[in-house]
Amino acid sequence: MDNIITIKNLKKHYGNNEVLRGINFSLVKNENVVILGPSGSGKSTFLRCINHIEEPTSGEIYFNSTLITNKNIQKIRQDIGMVFQHFNLINNLTVMDNLILAPTKLKIMEREAAEKKAHSLLRHIGLSSKAYSYPSSLSGGQKQRIAIIRSMMLSPKVLLFDEPTSALDPESIGDVLSLIREVANAGMTTMIVTHEMNFAKEIASRIIFIDKGKIIEEGTPTEFFTHPQTPRVREFLQKVL
Amino acid sequence: MDNFINKLVELFTTPRYIESLLHGFLLTMQIAFFAIIIGLILGTIIALVDTAKRSKWMIIPKFVCKTYTTIIRGTPMALQLFIMFFVIFAIRGFPQIITAILAFGFNSAAYVAEVIRSGIQSVDIGQTEAGLALGLSRLTIFRYIVAPQAIRNIIPALGNEIITVIKETAIVSMVGMYDLNMAAKDIGSGQNMASYIVPMFVAALFYLIVIYFITFIIKRIEKHLKKSDLKTSEA
Ligand SMILES: Nc1ncnc2c1ncn2[C@@H]1O[C@H](COP(=O)(O)OP(=O)(O)OP(=O)(O)O)[C@@H](O)[C@H]1O
Ligand SMILES: [Mg+2]
Repeated sequence: MDNIITIKNLKKHYGNNEVLRGINFSLVKNENVVILGPSGSGKSTFLRCINHIEEPTSGEIYFNSTLITNKNIQKIRQDIGMVFQHFNLINNLTVMDNLILAPTKLKIMEREAAEKKAHSLLRHIGLSSKAYSYPSSLSGGQKQRIAIIRSMMLSPKVLLFDEPTSALDPESIGDVLSLIREVANAGMTTMIVTHEMNFAKEIASRIIFIDKGKIIEEGTPTEFFTHPQTPRVREFLQKVL
Repeated sequence: MDNFINKLVELFTTPRYIESLLHGFLLTMQIAFFAIIIGLILGTIIALVDTAKRSKWMIIPKFVCKTYTTIIRGTPMALQLFIMFFVIFAIRGFPQIITAILAFGFNSAAYVAEVIRSGIQSVDIGQTEAGLALGLSRLTIFRYIVAPQAIRNIIPALGNEIITVIKETAIVSMVGMYDLNMAAKDIGSGQNMASYIVPMFVAALFYLIVIYFITFIIKRIEKHLKKSDLKTSEA
């Protein structure tokens, strides 16, 4: 198998609050997995455990065939990009410096090569004119598209998206979704938490549904949306569709 | 009124008085200067320990720092000064000025730590998470992301702390040290009202000038930081 990520019995507790209660999951190359579930079910926590932004309480996570530990995670993060709901561009750095910070500080690219790559990505999303602006002068949609190309600067093997359009005005949502679509169609493997059901249907090669910290249903978009297996999912779909 | 002017003239023409005032002023400045340096260094270390990621190696250092700041912030400065003078450094011949510097330095460190800690914690956690997700080390994240943003919040509060230390050193007169405050009292020990009011006002003016100067510098730094903020939003 070419599993990029394999997760075995992942659990995460905050004190007595069992947020993830044993998740088993694997992600195959070129898959686009959309994660659905009610608010507070643990979707964000699940994504954030994968790159150890939250430390799992127990369970195993493999990247390719390497068990992720506190020792090797920093290096592995270069291969697992992440896009946040609130963009998290670095406020004190220009767009350009946001893009080249990681590649240069990690000594993966020379400054010039990094800038060249950054310029070409910026041109691609039509934001060349913002290269030397600071994040505070950008709209939400611009910030998020820059956050997406920032995560691609290191040429990761997987991209994790946590509600990438939830903090955006309706007009910018389309721009950001198109960029994600384009990245996915170019062969990137992705995991996406979203509340955009139409986008989920369209982009997902597989949908997983998390409820109370467990994956309770998974399948292709067609299976999931037209033949939901569990009452919980049927109830959820009734509310959101 | 004549009396006051005469006294003022007397104060500035009698070498013994001028010498006393300058001597007092110098001692005040020496204590404050070195105490602030110690406070900044020690306070920064405490703040870094306090904000460091929780791990088993940090449990004891974090506990020590917490206890230290709690005790310092929870007891009067004057009492801390007495304890330093009459308990910890009650050594015959030990230089008083060093005892005083340490007393104020150790005190200030607790407040500086608090200022820096809250400055660091006021930076959105998402900034750190973005750095982590990009594979950067904690040190790189601190150096290039967190510290530059924290400093904007820290500078004004640090200015206040520096001013507080300068003024608070006046209590060394309680342990018999001849600082600016003591000089004012000493010169003024005379018969009529003018003879003690004038030197006290002159001493007050000395404090005011120094503090005004420091406020000015801090404001300049703040403005400079704001300007780069402004550039930020206009660019
Ligand atoms: N740092 C934390 N400390 C304590 N509890 C937390 C923390 N982060 C999340 N939780 C709790 O974990 C649960 C799941 O949170 P999570 O953010 O993963 O849900 P979610 O599925 O992403 O929800 P949403 O759709 O609202 O984003 C919630 O009950 C939340 O209160
Ligand atoms: Mg969430």
